[in-house]
Amino acid sequence: MIKKMFALSTVLSGILLISGCSQKKEASDINMTSQTRDVFAMDTFMNMKAYGQNADIALSEAEKRILQLEEELSVTNETSDIWKIDHSDGKLVEVSDDTAIIINKAIEMGDRTGGALDITLYPVLKEWGFTTGDHKIPGEQTLKRLLENVDYSKVNIDGDTVSLPEDVEIDLGALAKGYTGDEIMKSMAGNGISSAIVSLGGNVQALGTKPDGSNWKVAVRDPFAPDTDMCIIEIADKAVITSGNYERYFTADDGSVYWHILDPADGYPADNGLVSVTVIGDCGLDCDALSTALFVAGYDGARKLLKSDPSFDLILVSDDHRIYYTEGIADCFTNISSMEAEVISLD
Amino acid sequence: MTKGVKLLIGAVIVIFAAAVVFAIIGSKPSDSTWVDIVQNNKIIYHLDLSEEKDRTFKIDYPDGGWNEVQIKDGHISIIDADCPDHTCIKTGELRSENIPIVCLPHKLVIRFSDEGAGE
Repeated sequence: MIKKMFALSTVLSGILLISGCSQKKEASDINMTSQTRDVFAMDTFMNMKAYGQNADIALSEAEKRILQLEEELSVTNETSDIWKIDHSDGKLVEVSDDTAIIINKAIEMGDRTGGALDITLYPVLKEWGFTTGDHKIPGEQTLKRLLENVDYSKVNIDGDTVSLPEDVEIDLGALAKGYTGDEIMKSMAGNGISSAIVSLGGNVQALGTKPDGSNWKVAVRDPFAPDTDMCIIEIADKAVITSGNYERYFTADDGSVYWHILDPADGYPADNGLVSVTVIGDCGLDCDALSTALFVAGYDGARKLLKSDPSFDLILVSDDHRIYYTEGIADCFTNISSMEAEVISLD
Repeated sequence: MTKGVKLLIGAVIVIFAAAVVFAIIGSKPSDSTWVDIVQNNKIIYHLDLSEEKDRTFKIDYPDGGWNEVQIKDGHISIIDADCPDHTCIKTGELRSENIPIVCLPHKLVIRFSDEGAGE
């Protein structure tokens, strides 16, 4: 008898295990098979997973779109829009719709964050060696001279025509992957997929829910131990995009650590109290741009922007090992780190 | 209350609590011991780490280059490679479902397999 009751309770607990989600779809949906695809592009590792009969075709189409975007947006490929703009000597350059959309977004986000996002930082980023891996600390004079040409308001765009003053160069690295995520979602949906998830170098974007109707669980890395996860959030139809100081950095001879997210104000790695910024929202492009901008803007800057635009959620990690997250994700946020986590108060 | 019933109640509470914790936290880090070694979307090894003997082996990249994989005490890592950045080596042992070991130049990925990994 006891054995029977024990078995029953095990089964009941098992049911609880698999029913952690709120809604269930038809059994046929649950049994949908998935296909995955790795893509090595944009200097990063991308992994896509799609569910349903059309998954293989949808993944191939999405891969084509990624490679097309890489060709347009690469800063080093001599046939790309960005290379043409950066080597235009002040002349007008015709670009693709994709490039124009991203440049317009970059200018908009620069305006909204008081210049915390600046796509004309590229020459400074090169000087630090973050583009080649050949790292060095730039001299004061060099930085000063380069910063004279850092100002995103010098980028002129009219329709699909772009021009830059000589000596100004742009790079869309802070936005390209976010836009790519959006375009993958569009491509997948256009191919009849209703359930898919992609990771573009750690930036996650999901189409719909999992086939069984439950939310996707997305892990955010611990910036103090980047090989472990810090928290799990549950999402559907959202992008989860993180900018962290652990992604690309180098340690100088004196032991100081320099990371790749630079502050347009002084050309040095942004050091305004945050070590990781995760933005969760509907639009990958917006989230990607904001994650970089808010890393630079710091906690107060992030709070200020949230007050004017509550359409996205945030997970911030401060350099004193505290996690701050927005009220909007309180129900789907699980802290699995040893850090204290608290809700960002907007009052 | 008999000893058996007390035991049963205890067991139910423990299992229930474990289920709740599992439902909240999910399955990370991975409980799975199955891993795939994938080269440019082709699974070249499908291994159960709990069964594998300690060993190291080299994986050649058709366009030139190699990575040396180590299996030790049920853990897998890349310990040497001729790629310039060595990101794959710095990643260390494979621990999380979310963080695969990746060598971009050689299009090589080591990750926990869907088989037995759960979601």
